[in-house]
Amino acid sequence: MIELPPAAPTGANALEIHDLTGPAGSPVLHGVSLAVPRGGTHVVLGSIHAGKSLLLRLVLGLQRSDHGIVVVDGTPFDAARPNEDELRRIRRHVGVVFESSALVSRLTLLENVELPLVEHTAVGAEAARAAATELLREVGVAGDIDRTPEVRSRLDRRRAALARALVLRPIVLLIDEPAHGLDAHAAAELDDTLARLQQQYGCAALICSQEVRYAFRAPRAVSVLAGGTIVEQGDLEQLRRSRHDAVRRLVDRRGAA
Amino acid sequence: MRQANVEADAPAVADPRERPRDPAGARFISRGRLALRSAYWLGALLAPHSPERPAPVAAGVTRELDALGYGAIRLVGASALLVGLITVFQVAYQLAPYGAEIVSARALAWFVASEIGPIVVAILVVARSAAAIAGEFASMSANGELDALRAMGLDPVKYLVVPKLAALLIALPALTAIAVALAVIGGWLGTAVLLGYNTALYLEHLHESLAIGDVGVGLAKSLLFAGLIGIIAADEGLRVERRVAAIGEAATRAVVYCLLGVLAADTIVNAIVYFIPGLA
Repeated sequence: MIELPPAAPTGANALEIHDLTGPAGSPVLHGVSLAVPRGGTHVVLGSIHAGKSLLLRLVLGLQRSDHGIVVVDGTPFDAARPNEDELRRIRRHVGVVFESSALVSRLTLLENVELPLVEHTAVGAEAARAAATELLREVGVAGDIDRTPEVRSRLDRRRAALARALVLRPIVLLIDEPAHGLDAHAAAELDDTLARLQQQYGCAALICSQEVRYAFRAPRAVSVLAGGTIVEQGDLEQLRRSRHDAVRRLVDRRGAA
Repeated sequence: MRQANVEADAPAVADPRERPRDPAGARFISRGRLALRSAYWLGALLAPHSPERPAPVAAGVTRELDALGYGAIRLVGASALLVGLITVFQVAYQLAPYGAEIVSARALAWFVASEIGPIVVAILVVARSAAAIAGEFASMSANGELDALRAMGLDPVKYLVVPKLAALLIALPALTAIAVALAVIGGWLGTAVLLGYNTALYLEHLHESLAIGDVGVGLAKSLLFAGLIGIIAADEGLRVERRVAAIGEAATRAVVYCLLGVLAADTIVNAIVYFIPGLA
């Protein structure tokens, strides 16, 4: 049985991951540890099948790890034996944008964004609708928001997924491949929107991506994940100095671009 | 069907033939759990809500009623009309040597109301909707939508299963009532127009043989079938692995298990009605 660390004082990191390992399968994580400071950003870089999406699933308690501790806003939970009540409480403070946007296809963009408000807060239907409409406008979704996601562009779906993740004012945002499937122009636009809203809402962000450019924006911590293990962790300078093959490939790719 | 977008890091899956089969009874346990959770959320849906905070899934029920109920009216109506005609012809053919073709009207009334009506409607709804329900949920699972709901602390059963289940529980009895009425009209076409008996005689036989109890049994069966179809199809869709090929497999399994479930339930209900005195 793993000993949970004592609750961290308020003001510490928004998210901490300690020794996250498993589960058996492919990919599998080996002792992944990292921290995301309040209001800060941590970028996890890695190629396909490095375990980035798995890392987010374990942090969210969607899959059980073999062992490891996740601490959200000072509240720890055992990632190997997540307690449903704990998870529900913690998920209230975590916003997530999945690689595929994962908006509920049966609901309209507006309903997707207002859903967490309706379920997790005491606001009335009208107020929830107004808040969701305002947030969709802030992330840049224009036009008819009473349409289902499949008839909207991929960029609008990403923006709406970002709005849904932000609607409860989370302490930390988990974002899987922010620019997945977007062209360079749309990706840059989304990056700017993300940075602006992150600053505006003061939330931390854990960004998992194959794209090394995320490490080159503003000062931020970077971890490089390869084969389920963090092979390099630090700031951009450390990344540049690293002699590890996986890191060199990522940095060289940036140089080539 | 929508093209699913499986996440890049989804675990690689081996040849489907090499995957371990579910342990015996796992399906029953999974469906039992799903039925209990659905019943809980159905109860919550029926509980009074303030106008300021209406039940979040109420709009979903309306949407599903349109798709699963209203959308099936033409198919059910046309099929029921033909079933009425076929039943009259088949029974009349058997009774022709005895000069008792008009008795087919009597047979039609109770048989359609208590047996053919609910079972034909259930089979048509399985053919039309079970694969769609399972395929949709499997596709949502592959697309990460179920994970997104869970990650927000929301139960996918409440938002995805309950609207469909509620719509089926409303639509199937309604479709059954429509089917019985149209089968009776089909029977009239067969006896009065094609076999040459007068309408008054047909109505007289119909009136004598059609008991309100038969209609009640038929509607009760349709409620049971609705629950079975909703739970089995949803369970098949929700329990798939996160891979695109699983979508088609789930849809196929949903149709097979729904048909088996409906026929098995009908047999059990008929046995109960037959063997318990006073119910027949």
